[in-house]
Amino acid sequence: MHPLVLTFLIFGIPALIGLTWVFLRGSSGLRSYILTRIALTIPMILILATVVFLVMRIIPGDPITSALGPKGTAEIKERFAEQHGLNDPLAVQYGRFVADVFTLDFGNSLIGSQRPIVDELGERLPATLEMVIPATLLALSLGVFLGTRAGVRRKSAIDYGSRIFSVMIYAMPIFWLGLLFQLIFGVWLGWTPIAGRIDPSIPLERTTNLLIIDSIITANWVALRSVLAHLVLPTLTLGLVLSGVFLRLTRINVIETGQEDYVAAARARGIDQGTITRRYSLKNAMIPVITLIGLQVAILLAGAVLTETVFAWPGMGRYLIQRILARDFTAVQSVIVFFALFVAVISLAVDILYSVLDPRVRY
Amino acid sequence: MTKRLLLVLFSFALVVAACTSSDDTTTTTAGVSDTTTTTEAPAATTTTAAPVAAVCPSETGGGTVVIGTTDAIASLDAADAYAVRDWEVLKNFGEPLLKWVPGSADQLQLGIAESMPVASEDGLTWTVTLREGLLFGDGTPITAEIVAAQLTRLLTISETGPNQVGLTLGNPYVDSIEAVDDRTLQFNLPAPIAFFLQLLASASYIPANPATFPEDELNVFPTPPLTGTGPWIVTEIVTDESMTLEPNPNYHGDQPKVDRVIVRQFADPQSMALAVQTGEIDIAWRILGAELANELGEIDGLNSVVVPSGPIRYLIINHVLEPTNDPNVRKAIAAVIDRDELSDVIFGGAVDPLFSQVPPGFLGATEAFEDLYGSPDLDAARAFLEASGYSEDNKLQLPVWYPPEHYGATTADGVLLVVQQLEATGMIEVEVNAQEWGTYVGALTSGEDYPVGVLGWFYDFPDPENYLQPFIENGGLGTMVTAKDGPITPGVSEELLTLLTASRIETDLDARAAILEDLQAVYADEVVTVPLWIEPEFIVYRDGICGDASLPNPQTLNIGGTMEFSYSVIGTDGS
Repeated sequence: MHPLVLTFLIFGIPALIGLTWVFLRGSSGLRSYILTRIALTIPMILILATVVFLVMRIIPGDPITSALGPKGTAEIKERFAEQHGLNDPLAVQYGRFVADVFTLDFGNSLIGSQRPIVDELGERLPATLEMVIPATLLALSLGVFLGTRAGVRRKSAIDYGSRIFSVMIYAMPIFWLGLLFQLIFGVWLGWTPIAGRIDPSIPLERTTNLLIIDSIITANWVALRSVLAHLVLPTLTLGLVLSGVFLRLTRINVIETGQEDYVAAARARGIDQGTITRRYSLKNAMIPVITLIGLQVAILLAGAVLTETVFAWPGMGRYLIQRILARDFTAVQSVIVFFALFVAVISLAVDILYSVLDPRVRY
Repeated sequence: MTKRLLLVLFSFALVVAACTSSDDTTTTTAGVSDTTTTTEAPAATTTTAAPVAAVCPSETGGGTVVIGTTDAIASLDAADAYAVRDWEVLKNFGEPLLKWVPGSADQLQLGIAESMPVASEDGLTWTVTLREGLLFGDGTPITAEIVAAQLTRLLTISETGPNQVGLTLGNPYVDSIEAVDDRTLQFNLPAPIAFFLQLLASASYIPANPATFPEDELNVFPTPPLTGTGPWIVTEIVTDESMTLEPNPNYHGDQPKVDRVIVRQFADPQSMALAVQTGEIDIAWRILGAELANELGEIDGLNSVVVPSGPIRYLIINHVLEPTNDPNVRKAIAAVIDRDELSDVIFGGAVDPLFSQVPPGFLGATEAFEDLYGSPDLDAARAFLEASGYSEDNKLQLPVWYPPEHYGATTADGVLLVVQQLEATGMIEVEVNAQEWGTYVGALTSGEDYPVGVLGWFYDFPDPENYLQPFIENGGLGTMVTAKDGPITPGVSEELLTLLTASRIETDLDARAAILEDLQAVYADEVVTVPLWIEPEFIVYRDGICGDASLPNPQTLNIGGTMEFSYSVIGTDGS
């Protein structure tokens, strides 16, 4: 089975089940909202795809000169353009692209391997997900934990320390932090590998291209250990940088909710601080944080580009950069459509979760 | 600790800036041995190689060697591939009729051919006999019929691929390839060429296994295992991650010294540099910059060496556009270039200045620009400018273009230093323009927009022809000394074309060298291009990794002037 389909099954099926559950149990307003949001995704993707299609053709440079360089004669360039339909009118090229998007075919890469784009994405999307998901979990858990502690113990050492940490870590260029971690944990201490997804000398049968899952289903524990070791630095880099913003947002919201009347009332009833924080302050403080997760997904994907470059991680971000530089129209368009779909799905999930967490929200 | 910190700091700055075995080999110097022949290709002269312990004290071999690279695979079909990395892989799992002695660039030896090809009297037909009992890596017998059919792919289906290498290395030189009998091949040429043997040693002339590469269709990105005529089998390719090669048990020659080679893909040289430090990789190969390679060379346990080869950098001068259509302007530009300063300031002396478009070591290579213009001679430059009416009050306005991101920071710095040198005449005012590569290369090579621009070049086959013909014929990659359809540009010496044609068909080495010397003199006089420097390539490897001491350049793991890296020669000390 194609790795892209397997990736969808692994991540998409649970999401689909969750969505169906919410859809069936939700109010008619929520059901209407979900249907509208799904319907709106189609024009959103189309508009974005159209913009990308046009921008790729407006910006300087073209795939022919980029691919052939100074050695490409006029005859060779003409043949290349003819073979790839680059001489066709823009409207014809656009029509072909839209048809490819709707059939989820995406055509073949223009430069280099000229393989089907879905095959190229099937190799890279799992790699990106395998890094982005643990990084998001790390950012969220660290940010919420420290933010809560700082908010509850305002003006304490932990509050000042967390605030300094959040500003420093968020301001730090991601590639610089990555290089620093490579040097400290890889070169100096020798604790972790510094690049790649797995030691290439360890054999591993790749089915889903999600190496953690592949090594578990083949019971290849040596490979699993190598995969996890290779995940440490990229996850730490991406997760720490993103944790800063979650920390600050959680802190300020815990402080604000701590001043609400219902918290004062809870205190007056003699409920201990831990229970107040967990049951009252934190639950309410999490609502903006959940919203932020949706917004951070796009930033996370952008951050993954740099992280993937530093850690030689063969994911979507690195692929996108390579293809943009090569002016590989079809590949760039396809990756961006995929990114857009990803962000749209996460945004939808966040909006739905928002309504579940905050009963005041009515759709 | 300090060095490592400096390395990180330097890496940070960079990121910011960039957001064969010896079978049948005798090293004779005559071109008549039936096993090894010396050609007019460049001698393997090391540029500024550091003295390192390159040969293992007690070589044992075996084990796995991991090589790092930032160079991506673009095509693995010999009838399409047109990049250094692709050719490197092709030459490890495939082998042409002839091959270069590892580490050399002037010694051809037999590949899958049993003896050196023989030319007919008119030079239009070459006949070559295959070795007996040849097998592809999967055990398929190799016959002349299969080889002829597979090499014919270069002439017939190459044009359907992204690189269309046949139009560059096939069709202009070969009309057809026939099997005379089971082991004999015949190449029919449209015109005699002096460099046919070098052409046969190129990766484009590797017969591919028809089981993977069908006669009528390219297979640019084949699925492993890739078996061919060479000493290795590509057993696994993980896109953008790694490639694994294991010895080919059916190879006709000596088996590789190590059990397995893994080539790991890196996105940037900084990570690759750190990986060779930690031992995740044993060898950091292309592409490391000079500063990074020097830093790594100072770390215990690592050896950093300059490879005696690399692309050249030069100025394309447009002979049709103003103001460079004026011969005096072109000569003034040639006279002000201080190549030693470029080498010292930009590369810390790590590059070789280039005084002719044909690099040193090639047959007939001269220092024509040094001989004609000095390096530099500001007075001569001013005299050329004055002859065309320019003065300190009436300065020459000269647009100079370069691609800031494509060749890296050093080339960009080099261009800016060239600008300073031009303006040091006091009679030239340079307008520096940067343009993104995709647009730049199209505009420059079409000859329509840029009077002066910088470009890089690495040969397709190691012969002076490949350093001269592209800049003279068919628009000259933007020099426009000839029009796209052929005729020489008015005002440019027709002697250029006459000498080029003569050098192409002359097979006597001495006579050809004399023609090439004359050609370079005319080339410099016309200032077709302005050669600047040879960009160095570096290899860094850990202690315990060794080259073959019986072959040239063991200190670079036997990578010589052809820049071919034969994984078969890599040895280990068993540590």
